[in-house]
Amino acid sequence: MKKNICILIAAAGLFTASAPLFAHHSFASEYDSAKPIEVTGTVTKVEWTNPHARFYVDVKDPSGKVLNWNFELASPNVLIRQGWTRHSLKEGDQIVVKGNRAKDGATMANAATVTLADGKKVFARSQTDGQ
Amino acid sequence: MKSLRILATAAPALFLLASSLPLAAQAPAGAAPAPARAGRGPQRPQGPTPHFADGMVDLSGVWNGGGPVGDIEQGLPKGEHAPLSEAGKKMMAAKQSKDDPEANCLPTGIPRIAPYPWRIVQTPTHVFILFEGNIHSFRQIFMDGRKHPDDPDPTWYGHSVGHYEKDTLVVDTVGFNDKFWFDFRGHPHTEQLHTVERFTRKDLGTLEVETEITDPGAYTKPFTIKFTASLRPKEELMEYICQENQQDAQHLQGAAGTPQNP
Repeated sequence: MKKNICILIAAAGLFTASAPLFAHHSFASEYDSAKPIEVTGTVTKVEWTNPHARFYVDVKDPSGKVLNWNFELASPNVLIRQGWTRHSLKEGDQIVVKGNRAKDGATMANAATVTLADGKKVFARSQTDGQ
Repeated sequence: MKSLRILATAAPALFLLASSLPLAAQAPAGAAPAPARAGRGPQRPQGPTPHFADGMVDLSGVWNGGGPVGDIEQGLPKGEHAPLSEAGKKMMAAKQSKDDPEANCLPTGIPRIAPYPWRIVQTPTHVFILFEGNIHSFRQIFMDGRKHPDDPDPTWYGHSVGHYEKDTLVVDTVGFNDKFWFDFRGHPHTEQLHTVERFTRKDLGTLEVETEITDPGAYTKPFTIKFTASLRPKEELMEYICQENQQDAQHLQGAAGTPQNP
């Protein structure tokens, strides 16, 4: 158990250290790595476009109001080289997303992990795959 | 026909080495395997430096790395700093992250590189460097012995002339505009910038890129950075049109990046 925690911490350090290097913009200037978020909702749109692939998710806030969140991934080029495709995530998919919210408070975030309803995970974290 | 020599080069090797570490751990099951990765990054192909039939060094291939992304000081010996002048320090201090041209889908200039593959094409008269990403553009380097124009118009990639010194491609560039940044941190330059790049293929999979930077408008003395590009033999350049869906620059906050070469 202890060992696992150490590994997690080491991995987190790595993400942090490498974060600013791998996108066409500074990750640290856009996203708050100190405030991770997790949302559950329905994919409303997937944009397989550069400089970043994006997907949008309808998320109910505690009051029941639905907000549409904008999640950033790596570029399609990076995702394709990792073996993902434009069909890996589809409109209507029920997902859980963990990520880091934009520092300016927009309903926008970098997606770290995306988990489908069947537990399958899609996409890698964009600031670590860079590009 | 020896005219079309395709030599590809790419983006920041050190960065890619680091970046691919988490990638390797997260590679999707059943995904088409990328080039073999071992240990801390993709394994570089092994072998001697290739040459064309006439003996000229062959720089062909798709490369990753070879220049600064986040911090140009990562190309200096650890702990050393770029010799900014007082004017240079002021320029840098005034930069806001949201204004980084690269984040706004404008070219990296030289020596900055985007974290995307790139390819070199060698011909008898020109060397072209084709960039996949940011931006999806190219550099042209004149190899016909011409000189720089007396008063070149300032441009993003400047006016480049090149020659070979044994196995090293030497590229001299002037005529830069002052718009691009050297890195996320916003290391500045002026139109007085003059770069001399030395591209040396140390072996089949390794391209060393050493760049001497002279700019009395922002630095007290010339300085030289060194980065390494890695060959990605199974990759091809892909389309990358940054302007298509750029939504980041308007959300970037605060001053430009922090030092990454402590």
